[in-house]
Amino acid sequence: MASATAVQDVKALQEERTQLFKDVFDGKIPKRVPVSPSLTIEFAIQYAGKDLAEVQWDYQLLEEVYEKVCQDFVSDTNPAAMNLRNPIFYKLLGARNFVMSSGGFMQHPEIHGLEAEEYDDFIASPYDCIMEKILPRIYTELNESPGKRSIAFGKAFKAYYDELFAALGVIGKLTDKYGYSPLGGIELLTEAPFDFVADQLRGFKGITGDLRRCPDKVEAACEAALPLMLKQGTPNHPPSKYGAAFIPLHMAPYIRPKDFEKFYWPTFKKLVDGLADKGQPSMLFVEHDWMRYIDYLYELPENTRMWFEYGDPKLVKEKLGKKHIITGFYPIGLLKTGTKQQCIDKAKELIDILAPGGKYYFGFDKGVITADSVNVDNLKAVLEYVAENANY
Amino acid sequence: MSELAMDLNMLTEAVGELDEDKVLEMLKEFVESNPTEEEAEKVVNACQQGMAIVGDLFDKGEYFVGDLIFAGELLTSAIDTLKPVIGSGTTEKVGSIVLATVEGDLHDIGKNIFKSMAEAAGFEVYDLGIDQPAAAFVEKIKEVKPQIVGMSGVLTLAIDSMKNIIDELKKEGLKDDVKIIIGGNPVTQEACEHVGADAFTTNAAEGIKICQGWMM
Repeated sequence: MASATAVQDVKALQEERTQLFKDVFDGKIPKRVPVSPSLTIEFAIQYAGKDLAEVQWDYQLLEEVYEKVCQDFVSDTNPAAMNLRNPIFYKLLGARNFVMSSGGFMQHPEIHGLEAEEYDDFIASPYDCIMEKILPRIYTELNESPGKRSIAFGKAFKAYYDELFAALGVIGKLTDKYGYSPLGGIELLTEAPFDFVADQLRGFKGITGDLRRCPDKVEAACEAALPLMLKQGTPNHPPSKYGAAFIPLHMAPYIRPKDFEKFYWPTFKKLVDGLADKGQPSMLFVEHDWMRYIDYLYELPENTRMWFEYGDPKLVKEKLGKKHIITGFYPIGLLKTGTKQQCIDKAKELIDILAPGGKYYFGFDKGVITADSVNVDNLKAVLEYVAENANY
Repeated sequence: MSELAMDLNMLTEAVGELDEDKVLEMLKEFVESNPTEEEAEKVVNACQQGMAIVGDLFDKGEYFVGDLIFAGELLTSAIDTLKPVIGSGTTEKVGSIVLATVEGDLHDIGKNIFKSMAEAAGFEVYDLGIDQPAAAFVEKIKEVKPQIVGMSGVLTLAIDSMKNIIDELKKEGLKDDVKIIIGGNPVTQEACEHVGADAFTTNAAEGIKICQGWMM
């Protein structure tokens, strides 16, 4: 009988948490500020005292690792994050774009898959160019005869789906067990066309040279990439206003405003508008400092979710807070170096600025990627403080 | 001495404007004029002054990280073009820096920007690469005895790594012989104090000025 009550309590808690996000996304003022910390799988593994390089290869160990995070950290969304860069399929593909460091952390080194003189091939037929030219360069196991390439591809995708479904199973179970909101996270990931051309095709260094040497080709390549990015951001089920395509923004703060206007913004705007037209909201990670582009962000469809890294929270609230949904800004560096009281004061300061009027949920300025990036006691204290005190 | 076959101010300006075509064309013509080593040195100097302009424009918010990357590339092509006429005689260095992206982090764009700007400012830079542990720093510092150690990182985990490396330098008795500057997205004043570095920056141009200040 007691356990039946407990199950009911958890169910009620889950409904309450889900309602918080529904209210935020509907533009209504929720009962309290929802909390969605971006804890990563790497954080969870280290926090459980396990070896990063070992557990990432073995999803059977995941449940234990995730469970500990669920038990110890307060959150309205499931803190057991999906592994975005699972080493298994990247290794099977011989990936050069995602590799593991000595500490076991998967990273994206600076590489490129398309040469500057090959822009025309990409522009003429982006999909063919990716399949035939770019993938075999980025993934060494695909740089093989058609037969071997197909086998490598098949193996990697089998691993990808095995890992994905295994993780989804564990995460789903914990979502129900601990009563987390299934809303408030991300469903799928796409990129701003310019970022795609930069990150995956030409590299950070390549694109900055191209902007000066062959600007017309860069512009045409972004247009050519747009349909692919739109497809990538569209779910294979009818979109929901509570879902989200995650778009981690990258290059804009590092290029000149005139280049942003001409090369970055137009296709990025078309992407977010295009997804919104289909009923799919976007969730942007606004990397670095976008304050000089804040008026552009205003132009995006209403209720676009924006997760800010740096910048001025007051300005963002004032300019964007009535139209869009804001999260982020909490500097996780402080969780490493500050006292518990300083950390809590910072949370209070941000909530006082960002929470009035709703359209806000609490989050950090970036993902907490490893346990040693923060003082976990400070992290716990901040999450508890927000969940208990940020009431409307 | 014969009249120098180019306008040095114009070259400095073209480098500052990152006008690649103009810079490389001017340098090509200069190399074809069979200049002396001394003249070539003046031209290298003019290019370096152009890089200082790039740094200033970055400080003023007119240039961005992408421009700094391009500037590094431009300087490399410029030096490559000048190679046939630059003498083997090494020019006086203003100081030396042991530089690396710290253990656990594979990102090198910021490190490379700092490196090219430091070289342009006349520093000898020993670049250890990425994902470098304390032992690699210790070994290189013992070998080349630099005045400055630069540590770079993009991920927040780099802060812990920087602290470990600096702790190790203290243990080895090397810390007091060098100035340590940390750079990259996650560094802050607090992080700088936490790891025990002498300076921090998220701005390569500013980092160079800090290093120059240490050499005075």
